[in-house]
Amino acid sequence: MSRLWKEFSKGLWKDLPPFKLVLGLCPVLAVTSTAENGFGMGMAVIFVLTLSNLLVSLVRKIIPAKVRIACFIVIAASLVVAVELLMQAYAFPLYQQLGIFVPLIVVNCIILGRAEAFASKNPPLLAIADGLGMGMGFTMSLTFLGGLREVLGHGQLFGHTVVWDGFEPLSFMAAAPGAFVTLGILLALMNFFTNLQRKRKGLAPVDGPTHDCGSCGVCGGR
Amino acid sequence: MQEYFLLFIAAIFVNNIVLAQYLGNCPFIGTSKETSVALGMGGAVVFVAVMATAITWLVQEYLLSPLGLDFLQTLAFILVIASLVQFVEMFLKKMVPPLYKSLGIFLPLITTNCAVMGIALICQRKEFPLLKSVAFAAASGIGFMIALVVLAGIRERLEIRRVPRAMRGTPVGLVMAGLMSLAFFAFKGMI
Amino acid sequence: MREMIKMIVVLSVICGISGVSLAALKSVTAPRIEEQILSYVQAPAIEQVLAAHDNNPIRDRKIFTVQDQQVTIFPALKGGSLVGLAFETSGQGYGGDIGVMVGFDPESGNLSGIGITTMKETPGVGSKVSKHGFTSQFHGMTAEQARLKSGGGEVNAVAGATISSTGTVAAVQKAVKIYNELRSKLTTAWQ
Repeated sequence: MSRLWKEFSKGLWKDLPPFKLVLGLCPVLAVTSTAENGFGMGMAVIFVLTLSNLLVSLVRKIIPAKVRIACFIVIAASLVVAVELLMQAYAFPLYQQLGIFVPLIVVNCIILGRAEAFASKNPPLLAIADGLGMGMGFTMSLTFLGGLREVLGHGQLFGHTVVWDGFEPLSFMAAAPGAFVTLGILLALMNFFTNLQRKRKGLAPVDGPTHDCGSCGVCGGR
Repeated sequence: MQEYFLLFIAAIFVNNIVLAQYLGNCPFIGTSKETSVALGMGGAVVFVAVMATAITWLVQEYLLSPLGLDFLQTLAFILVIASLVQFVEMFLKKMVPPLYKSLGIFLPLITTNCAVMGIALICQRKEFPLLKSVAFAAASGIGFMIALVVLAGIRERLEIRRVPRAMRGTPVGLVMAGLMSLAFFAFKGMI
Repeated sequence: MREMIKMIVVLSVICGISGVSLAALKSVTAPRIEEQILSYVQAPAIEQVLAAHDNNPIRDRKIFTVQDQQVTIFPALKGGSLVGLAFETSGQGYGGDIGVMVGFDPESGNLSGIGITTMKETPGVGSKVSKHGFTSQFHGMTAEQARLKSGGGEVNAVAGATISSTGTVAAVQKAVKIYNELRSKLTTAWQ
C-alpha cells in the first residue's frame, strides 16, 4: 500500500512533470494560453498515460525486447485515437481548440517515457498509480500555467474576468513568446526553491534538472 | 512560383514551426547547446520531415481515405514515421557512411519529434496537394533548423557568462527562445 | 528464427486487437460525432439562413435521396408547421470546393438566405464571398434572380473574384434544382 502511494504521489511533487521531469514541452507551451485548454489537455494525457501504463505493464512479459518500442507506440497511438474519437463525441469545442495537439499526444515523450522507464518493469497496479500520479501532476502544471497566462494575458480565469478595472492585459503573455518566458521563469523558481530547501538542510546546492529527451527510450537512451 | 515563394517565407519566418507554432520544442531545447549538434539535428529534421510528409500524404490519399479509415490517421502516421526513421537509419549506415556519421545519432530522436508528425498533420488539415505539402515540409524543416542554430549560438555564448544558478540550463534556454520568438513576431504582418 | 516469428506474431496480435477495438469504438461514437460536427460547424450557417423557428433543425434533420445522392435537410418549424428548409451544396471555386448552406422559404419557394460553410478561397479576395455583403443579396430572391448579373440574374459578383462568385452561384443553382425535385415530398415530411 505504501509503495502504491509512493508511486502515485511522486508525480504530484517530487517528479512533477514538466517542471522536475522536463518532458513533453510542446503541449505545455502550446495549449496553455487558457486554464481550460491546459486542463482539457491534461485530462486527455491522464487517460492515455494511465491506460498505456496499464496495458504496457500487462503485456510486458510477452513482448520481445527488440520490438518493445514499436509495441509501446502502437498501444499509445491506439489510445490517442480513442481519445480523439471520445473528444469529438463529447467535447467537440475543446477538440477544435486543441487542434493537432490531440493527435500529437502520441509523440509526447511523457507517454513513451513512462512506458519505458516504469510500466515495462513494474506490475499493473503500480503502473496505474504511476500513470495517474504523473498525469495528475501534468494536469496541475498545465492548468496552473494556463491560468497564469490567462490572467495576465486576458485578465480572465476559466473565462471569468478576475482582474480589477483598468487592468491592461499583456497580450504578450497569451502569445508564443509569453509561453516560453513563463515556463522558463517557473522552472527557474522551482530550482530556486529546491536549493533553498537544500540549504536549510545544510546540503550543497545543485543545478536544476536538465531537459531530457533521452529518457523516453525511443532512441535507446543515446 | 510566387505562391511557393510566399509559402517558404511564411513557413520559415512568419509561422516558424518552433517559435510560432510550438512544435518540436523538445529537441529545440534539448539539442541546442552546441552549434554543430544543432546543425546535425536540423539537417536530420529537414530530411525526415520531407520524406515523412510525402509518404504520409500518399498513405492518406491512397490507403486511408479510400478505405474510410480516416480516424486511424494518427496511428498510421506514427507507424509510418517510426518505420521510416528506422529504415533511413539502416540505409544511411550501409550506403552513405559519412552522412550517417553526421546525422545518424539524431535519427532515433526524431521519432518523438512532434515537428515531423506535426508538419504531416498540418498538411492534411490544410488539404495541401502533394507538391505543396513537400515544399511546406522542406520550408518548415529549414525554419526549424534556422531557429535551432541561432538558439545554439546564443546558448554557446551564455556558457561563458555568469548565469544565476537557478536559471542555468533549460530555464535560460526557454527564456532565450521566448526572446527569439518575440523577435520573429516582427515578421507577422509581412504577408 | 523463433524469436523473429515471436516478434512478428506479438506485433500483429497487438495491432489486430487495437484495430478491432478502435473500429468498435468508432461505430459506437459515429452518430454522436456526426451530430456534434453538425451542431458546431454547420449550425451557425443553418441559423443564419433559416427563418425564425422554435425547433432544433439539427435534431429534426432528415435524409432524402435525389439523383442517387443523399441530401441532409434541416427544417425550421414554428408551432409545428414548416417555415423554412436548409441544406448544403457545393460549387467549384478557385482553391477547391465552396460549401454553401442554402435556405428556402417553403411558402413561396424563394431563397431565404445563403451562408458559406467551407471554402479555401484566396484570403482577402475570393474569401469575400463569405462576407455579409455578398451573401445577403440572396435573401428573398427567386431561382431566376439568383444568378450573376453577367448571366442574366441580379447578383453582384465580388470584384476581382469572379471564379469564387460563380462557384457560389453554381452551388445555389444546384440547390434550387434539388429543392424543386423534392418539393412535393418536403412539405409533408415534418407533419
